[in-house]
Amino acid sequence: MKIIHNPLALSGLIIIFLILILALFAPIIAPYDPNFIDIESILVAPSIGHLMGTDGLGRDVFSRMLFGARISLLVGFVAVGIATGIGIILGSIAGYYRGWLDSLIMRLVDIMLSIPSFFLILAVIAFLTPSIWNIMIVIGLTSWMGVTRLVRAEFFSLRQREYVMAAQTMGASDLKIITKHLLPNSLTPIIVSSVLGIASAVLVESGLSFLGLGVQAPTASWGNILTDGKEYIQFAWWLSLFPGMAILFTVLGYNLLGEGLRDVMDPKNDN
Amino acid sequence: MLIGISLISFFIMHLAPGDVTSNEASFNPKTSEESRQKLKELYNLDKPVIVQYTLWLKRIVKLDFGRSFSSHQRPVLWEEKDKNGNITKGLIQESLPITLLINLLGIVIIFSISIVLGTLSAIKQNTWVDRSITLFVFIGFAIPGFWLALLLMYWTGVANQWLPISGLHSQGYLSLDSFSQTLDLLKHLILPVFVSSLSGLAGISLYVRNGMLEVLHQDFITTARSKGLSEKKVIFVHALKNAVLPLITIVGLSIPGLIGGSVIAESIFAIPGMGKLFYDSVLMRDFPVIMGILTIGSVLTLFGNLIADLGYAWADPRVRKGIIR
Amino acid sequence: MTHHLSQSITRAMPLFLLISLITSCSNNDPEVIDYKDYYELQSGGNLVNAMVGEPSNLIAMIAGDSASSAIAGNIFNSLIKYDEKLNHAPELAAKWVISNDQKTITFTLKDNLFWADGKPLTSEDVLFTWKVVTDPKTRTPYASDYLLVTKASAPNPKTFVVTYAETYAPAIDTWASLHILPKHILENEDINNTFFSRNPTGSSYYQLDQWISGQQVTLKANSKSSQGLPNISHLTSRIIPDTSSQFLELTADNIDLMNINPIQHQRVFPARKDLERKINLYKELGNGYTYLGFNLKKEPFNDINVRRAINYAIDKDEVIKGVLLGLGEPVASPYKPGTRWINPELSPYPYDPEKALNLLKASGYQKNEAGLFAKDGKVLAFEILTNQNKQREMTAVLVQRRLKEIGIDVTIRVIEWASFINRFIKTGDFNAVVLGWSLSLDPDQYNIWHSSQQGPGQFNFIGYSNKNVDKLLEDGRKELDPNKRERIYHKFSEHLLSDSPIVYLYAGYGLSAVNKRVQGIKNPAPPAGIYHNSYEWFMPKSLRRNEMAN
Repeated sequence: MKIIHNPLALSGLIIIFLILILALFAPIIAPYDPNFIDIESILVAPSIGHLMGTDGLGRDVFSRMLFGARISLLVGFVAVGIATGIGIILGSIAGYYRGWLDSLIMRLVDIMLSIPSFFLILAVIAFLTPSIWNIMIVIGLTSWMGVTRLVRAEFFSLRQREYVMAAQTMGASDLKIITKHLLPNSLTPIIVSSVLGIASAVLVESGLSFLGLGVQAPTASWGNILTDGKEYIQFAWWLSLFPGMAILFTVLGYNLLGEGLRDVMDPKNDN
Repeated sequence: MLIGISLISFFIMHLAPGDVTSNEASFNPKTSEESRQKLKELYNLDKPVIVQYTLWLKRIVKLDFGRSFSSHQRPVLWEEKDKNGNITKGLIQESLPITLLINLLGIVIIFSISIVLGTLSAIKQNTWVDRSITLFVFIGFAIPGFWLALLLMYWTGVANQWLPISGLHSQGYLSLDSFSQTLDLLKHLILPVFVSSLSGLAGISLYVRNGMLEVLHQDFITTARSKGLSEKKVIFVHALKNAVLPLITIVGLSIPGLIGGSVIAESIFAIPGMGKLFYDSVLMRDFPVIMGILTIGSVLTLFGNLIADLGYAWADPRVRKGIIR
Repeated sequence: MTHHLSQSITRAMPLFLLISLITSCSNNDPEVIDYKDYYELQSGGNLVNAMVGEPSNLIAMIAGDSASSAIAGNIFNSLIKYDEKLNHAPELAAKWVISNDQKTITFTLKDNLFWADGKPLTSEDVLFTWKVVTDPKTRTPYASDYLLVTKASAPNPKTFVVTYAETYAPAIDTWASLHILPKHILENEDINNTFFSRNPTGSSYYQLDQWISGQQVTLKANSKSSQGLPNISHLTSRIIPDTSSQFLELTADNIDLMNINPIQHQRVFPARKDLERKINLYKELGNGYTYLGFNLKKEPFNDINVRRAINYAIDKDEVIKGVLLGLGEPVASPYKPGTRWINPELSPYPYDPEKALNLLKASGYQKNEAGLFAKDGKVLAFEILTNQNKQREMTAVLVQRRLKEIGIDVTIRVIEWASFINRFIKTGDFNAVVLGWSLSLDPDQYNIWHSSQQGPGQFNFIGYSNKNVDKLLEDGRKELDPNKRERIYHKFSEHLLSDSPIVYLYAGYGLSAVNKRVQGIKNPAPPAGIYHNSYEWFMPKSLRRNEMAN
């Protein structure tokens, strides 16, 4: 597979794989229950007993980081899943039917793109209760525009191909054409966009945590471990270093993978 | 289009439970429900949503965005003079310039630095220069903004006293001459501008690199080279112009991202800009201000895109020649 | 090959960052100051502190936020103030006399009172202020106490008389919180919409010097101050919304004063000798308490055994130790510890899980297979709501753990303030809450505990109703003799503790960090707190920052 030869994609894949394993096996690897409070061990520096130290309630940071990985990945996957789902549907309709449906959908895309999305996310989360589901749904609902445009663009170029015309003359239903012929050939940009979207969703969650609107206590997320510790970075450096690095690596991994895939799958590179 | 934006914004806001009378003070045992009911009526909050929306729409046509609920009737958009000649400044009027300044500086930096980085990367493709620039770019993309901000604030402001930590001006600012004042402001802006434009910088450097790579492999470049033009001329004059054109549009598209991203940077760096104003208004359910900012923000984006399109048209010789003829 | 390189560089980054963080932590201050034990008083200087929010309106009766009242408090005076022992003391009024029928108060103003613009301050201004606060058109939520005045008059420039329909004991306290406004400036202004809210003229130690919107508010000494001149000539409040940025500014010497949290007080400062050398820490008990409140209108909280059981099951010492790192006091009366209103014979419910279990069993609860208590098929489980406040969140987590230990299942939900009040509190749609009361200095708590105050938006939102308590609260409001009042409120506290409608958790200390360049602060803090004599603080010339050209 070409992927292996592309250093970007490969490093990305390795990082993501590592984090995925850690997240999946968190309950087994974690030395403590992430919610286990120990008020005798408040803000202990990294040591043998606590590899990454403890937080303000004496909870083991390493265990919380492992479970936090699950949250970050979950938020990323679900949010992007929603965004991609919406994007595929709207993009297919716009790209296939064209005409007034296309104009309407594109207007909607333009409107959504003109509103600063972080503002919108912020407003909606603040108005509803910040919960992990609300966050995932709202991020999803504000990031479908890119996928829509990509799918639409692919459809524009593909629908002129012979096999599409052939399917149409043979009387295949629109739905069948879209799902069997057009979509499978538009996968490339969708995959790349999804992978990059996961990276962005993880960053948005940490930003929301900073504002107090992220995943709520006592659930551990990298964003809220970082936020909890921000007032003592001159003392409890472990509360800032580890989650910050974790977010950095995860996002890095997804971006590397995404860019690498883009390089790999770009037909121009075949020359 | 603006109607669409305002409609969406208005209805989203009315998802919100609670209104401006629910701030901290209203849970003080010294206040009473009748007083708060009185406040509600004074602010028109007891009318149905549709009515509130139409009232609002009628007013913004006249550029009257109303008055803030939570900032005690300060005008949302522009200043007002009362009968004694006392001027009360508008909320957006005060916060927009600094956000705009930071974003413009950010765009200038993104534009200039990313062209340099991207071009370098493309010319020296696959060398260690390319690899390290690519690495830097990816890390810049991936770093959580507020974390970087805190680390930099600590390093440059506390551990070493190089830069100010937060705010826009130093104490005693007003007693400085205008040159020192500008210098002082710039010192305060270094960190916020850097932090908020870092991810944009990263993304666009990559874009420039890819664009340059594509252009460098095209036929007209080979032609130019075979005509004997110096390598420098080939790169800077011909390739760059072509690669950079689409950049103008991209930068235009990243404006909403910059405006949205300013919330966190403004909060951490204590900069009284539109992002912070928006966040505070959301928490206070200050509807006129929220609507005002969303509308203005979108107007700015549209405006930015317009400038970008014009700039593209001017820069692209094909379009320019077409117009002149 | 090359991807190994990029990976090794990537892996080296954390080490690099870690090293720079640690080495910079051990840097010495560029300038090491030798602080003396005693400094002579010198006037002048600029005290810089930080605020999280910006004041919205310096007319305190209209503004609701703490930033506004903090600044306004330096600019305006009330008739009465509290001295350092929290007794009533003269501020604008030299003396006040209560009539024999106990319904009229006659205030006599001090001599030679002036506004900052030089005009005399008279009882006309006091009468004017009362009219404004009770005017239905004024957008203030604080009118109710002043509406109880049936007649107010200013028979001569130094006398102000108010008459109440019934004896109202908290009255004097209400005159300690009303900032007197200048009639000659405001009489033709619309109080809701006047330039005065951003450019006020007051009578107290300071006046507004400069307000740079969104950034800072600077006050300068008022030469016509009715209270005398303050030592420090300028007060600058910088608006820094993020508390971690504030702390960085404090440690970099850019601000002189900030409120800190228990962890900073107990852990960060002791670990950083360089900080301890230049910054002093203070603590003072706040006037309020944090509690776990039950919705008494819902099961199972209508059962007194359940409430008492929960009270016994919570280890309050643990909460104080874990959340406040010891910087708090347990409470058994709804008052500030150290005041006369605390009933000295009452002590908090001790941590006694055995008793808790027995009480639950006495009410018919049995442990099911999952180890949780249940009765009639319903498991004893509920949700604790609290707002976005770090300490309240941590408190809820500790409470959850202890309750889970004895077999009560508790979940926690953290909600942003406006939603919290409107969707849950006002509608009565909650089970239990972790909240706090911020109290006035008068012992009257009618609004919180009287059975008539249970309407939507009123403060008895937990639904408490006890006829004995109602009577005590009504009597307490009418009794002017402090000793008799004390007995009334002691009895009131006794009922409250016995009924256990809420679990008292703690009264926390307010913690301040002040740069050593600010001298004259009383330590330990008197009952009224360290800010009580802030006008007596001073900044020795040798320690001041070089900044403003005066």
